[in-house]
Amino acid sequence: MKILLSWLREFVTIPVDLNELVTALNMRGFEVGSVDIPTQIPDHLRADEAILDIEVTMNRPDCLSIIGIAREIATIYDTPLKLPQQTTQGVTEDAQAKNDALSVVIEATDLCPHYIAGLVDVDVSESPEWMINRLQAIGIRPINNVVDSSNYVLMEMGHPTHAFDLEQLAGQALKIRRAKKGERIQTLDGVDRQLKKEMLVIADANQPQAIAGIMGGTTSEVSDNTRTVVIESAYFQPTSVRHTSKQLGLSTEASYRFERGADVCGPALALARVHTLLEKIGAVRKRGPIINQYPVPFEKSSIRLRHSRLRRLLGQTIEKELLVRLLENLGFKLVPLVGPELPDDDNWWNVEVPSHRIDVHREADIIEEIARHYGYDRLPTTFPPLTQPPDPIGPWLEQARLIRRILTTSGFSEAITFTFIDRSAAVAFHQERELVELANPLSEQLTVLRPSLLPGIIDSLVYNRRRERHDIRLFELGNCFSLVDGESPRVAMICTGASNADHWSGPTRSLDLFDIKGVVERLCNAFGVKPEFDVLSNQTLVPGRAASVRTKPTPPEGSDGSKQIELGNFGQLSPTVAEAHGFPSKIDEVYVAEIDLRALTQISLSRDSFRVKPPPRYPSMVRDLSILLDESLPASSVRESIRSVAGQTLAEIKEFDRYRGEGIPKGLVSLSLRLTFQSSERTLTDTEVQQTMTAVVSALEKTYNASVR
Amino acid sequence: MSVPSTFDRLRSEFSSELAHVTTESELQTLRDRFLGRKKGAIVAIMRTVAEAPAESRPLLGRLANDLKSYIEAKIVEYRSTLSMKQDPAGTVDITLPGRTVTLGNVHPVTHLLERIQAIFSRMGYAITEGPEAEDDYHNFEALNMPLDHPARDMQDTFYLRSSLRFDHPKKSGDRFANLLRTHTSGMQIRYMETHEPPIRIIAPGVVYRRDSTDLTHLPMFHQVEGLVVSEHATMGDLKGTLETFLRELFDNKTQVMFRPSFFPYTEPSAEVFIGCLFCQRKGCAICKKTGWLEILGSGMVHPAVFEAVGYDSERYTGWAFGMGIERVAMLKYGVDDMRAFFENDLRFLEQHPY
Repeated sequence: MKILLSWLREFVTIPVDLNELVTALNMRGFEVGSVDIPTQIPDHLRADEAILDIEVTMNRPDCLSIIGIAREIATIYDTPLKLPQQTTQGVTEDAQAKNDALSVVIEATDLCPHYIAGLVDVDVSESPEWMINRLQAIGIRPINNVVDSSNYVLMEMGHPTHAFDLEQLAGQALKIRRAKKGERIQTLDGVDRQLKKEMLVIADANQPQAIAGIMGGTTSEVSDNTRTVVIESAYFQPTSVRHTSKQLGLSTEASYRFERGADVCGPALALARVHTLLEKIGAVRKRGPIINQYPVPFEKSSIRLRHSRLRRLLGQTIEKELLVRLLENLGFKLVPLVGPELPDDDNWWNVEVPSHRIDVHREADIIEEIARHYGYDRLPTTFPPLTQPPDPIGPWLEQARLIRRILTTSGFSEAITFTFIDRSAAVAFHQERELVELANPLSEQLTVLRPSLLPGIIDSLVYNRRRERHDIRLFELGNCFSLVDGESPRVAMICTGASNADHWSGPTRSLDLFDIKGVVERLCNAFGVKPEFDVLSNQTLVPGRAASVRTKPTPPEGSDGSKQIELGNFGQLSPTVAEAHGFPSKIDEVYVAEIDLRALTQISLSRDSFRVKPPPRYPSMVRDLSILLDESLPASSVRESIRSVAGQTLAEIKEFDRYRGEGIPKGLVSLSLRLTFQSSERTLTDTEVQQTMTAVVSALEKTYNASVR
Repeated sequence: MSVPSTFDRLRSEFSSELAHVTTESELQTLRDRFLGRKKGAIVAIMRTVAEAPAESRPLLGRLANDLKSYIEAKIVEYRSTLSMKQDPAGTVDITLPGRTVTLGNVHPVTHLLERIQAIFSRMGYAITEGPEAEDDYHNFEALNMPLDHPARDMQDTFYLRSSLRFDHPKKSGDRFANLLRTHTSGMQIRYMETHEPPIRIIAPGVVYRRDSTDLTHLPMFHQVEGLVVSEHATMGDLKGTLETFLRELFDNKTQVMFRPSFFPYTEPSAEVFIGCLFCQRKGCAICKKTGWLEILGSGMVHPAVFEAVGYDSERYTGWAFGMGIERVAMLKYGVDDMRAFFENDLRFLEQHPY
């Protein structure tokens, strides 16, 4: 809202300089965005002139006017508010009976409880210079004396009015009604608009002549030939104006005020003010009759204010003389409440709310008014006592911290990507019919909620790769969406490049599948989950280099086993997918993993149940074993078989070499394993370990046709 | 004695002798004894391997090689230790870079969230969690923004084409998520629905607004909101708590200013400003010459919000606040383009100290 300082001074004396005024307005919730010295104003008027651009919060449409701001200033400095002198007598008389120049009928009384039409015979011409200057200074284009007067009042009082050319109104009638199906109107901006049947219009006998509270039509526009105008001053229901304005994509100074809430008692005053102005500038030939339709009278609202409640909310008492003065300056009327039922140590008031304060409904609203003008800076600064212990930290936060710790120490940096992604990127990772779509996406690209973190994090990897970065490790923690599974938290990891940092002392090794697998294993271990891996065939991962991660949770007591739970997968990213995301290399390998955290955390062992095992007291014995096996045999099967034969003294099995090629028959592989034996009760003997080894070897020979090398 | 145990014996023999070596010549002698080309112990054992039965040869060979490389590595290592002991200057160029394990970094937004959570945890706040896909009731209606409330326009909303089931349907009644939350206030409503006062919580998380993208606006960002409800909560407490928080987050000389504002869910409402971090309140481009930076929205909980969750709005008072994390991060870390937080450029991510 642009406010011209000289115009403002007509209504209030400002006892401070401009800087002080700006600070005072800021501290009352009216942020002064800028202070400009106007250029359109003639030099001799420029001394002490300024344009304040004030941001008015949406709850205060009454301050979208010079008088509204003047009232605030009058309250700040406790100086009188000088309202324009005019009478509304002519308006309040019921002229309808004796007038047949125009019939006004409100059909939609729910959307328009009050409508006044004032007829005036006018000489349409250019406005006087002072009026043009003022309007131009605050960015309003002058049109003619009738329209300018209407706009002048709009800015001054905040109440929109509209002028029709009476001769252009068919049937000399105005009907305030909802639009009919298929009706159209050409609005004053020259646009031909299709109306919908819930939109409120002002129509003559034939067609809409204005979209209520938003914009008039060209047919009844005031022109140089206009002899009689109908000045409309009305109240339109905010929701209706907002809907219509939104649907038509048409926002005006009028709609901006009506949709926030105009003063329901404003129409009479605004019309009187337009009349006074038109007369002052010599535009009136003869005042005509006024038709005042007020089918739904405004009911004044009153609120009980308790001094004690004010103290409870603000933490401080404000003297009652001061609060009464502040509220009265703002236009509230206070009547002290007395009676035997009232507490002795308190003061209660009945506060009557002025009709322009559409934002005040409850005691808290009144208390805000007092606090605002008392000054937030004068309220005490206290610290609340803690009266009960807080809840423990939620499980998800703690898990997120653990995951971050594991992944950052594994060299992965955390990424955050957008939740909405391209449909085409999403379908590569998830079934299309399960995708969650946005009804109103911001662009044609970002239309679905990610079903997987991978598309986003692949983009981040590509972003870095295209910026001369070759060694990249990223992870993201975030929620994924699917119509079947709803919203679920996941973690994804991606990496490419070297496995260790460059150092002058030696070469680096390229990351491979077992690096990402190691991270997945570490993650599972941290949650106390034993992962199992199965070969996975998946369109986004390279065949033969992809695995699903599952686990079989410890069955709850009393049940006889539990199902495997799918945790996620990992593997080498398919070069086709990488390329689709713009990855610039055909050679470099990219590895990805994604784990469903809802599944992981559901089965994770409670960290509270963790207990320390004492370190072994007896020495261990180590035996190495090299065997030739069918190369398609998974290492996990070999391990399982050894475990089942070796019994409890086998503490650990570790593969330490796997060799194919020269010296090894085709189709076979040489696998070397290191077996560590240990007992918590005694020192194992060479003989018993040797016996176990013999049993292991013969079992492997029998089961897998293996041969010891 | 089996051949493998010979390896073990040699290994421990080597180790114990190495421990007694004090000079370079002694080290050379030890080396010759084990690795000497003609009479070295390894060479000797290699010969026995060659004579071993064919089936055990590969394993023995491997073990011999393992031992050999073990001894070689130990000697190299010990040599540098020895030389450092004898000649502390000049043998190692200590200006060469050290060897590091690659460490990743958590995102700057996470850093800040963790920091904020730590401050409030210490002040006795619980940290709540809740869904990003929300229903209209928890995002708007219960927060004094009924359908058609103009304040909804302040938070342009992404809607879902088809509604989504909640993770815990029991808690949510028969409601379905139909939008992306525009603030984390829905979590506060959910918390009040399941808890009785006194309440002290913060609600961190990602939120979505259908804003057009520019240097300071993105359709997705993070928020931390807070809520305190008790029989005694006052605006003075709000001021005291937020001042304490901001002075801990920035520095203890930070100036804090409260100014009236409007939010549908608080009354009275206050915007919170801190003295500009970049110009010592002299006025600069970042604070638009005002000397102040807006950092938080806050206010006393609107009685309608209490009524929506079934609290007695006469008995209880409360206050709430909220802030955008990326905005705070921009100010705190001197980032001038919000998009930097979502590009995931490692050159950006890695800068933050661990």
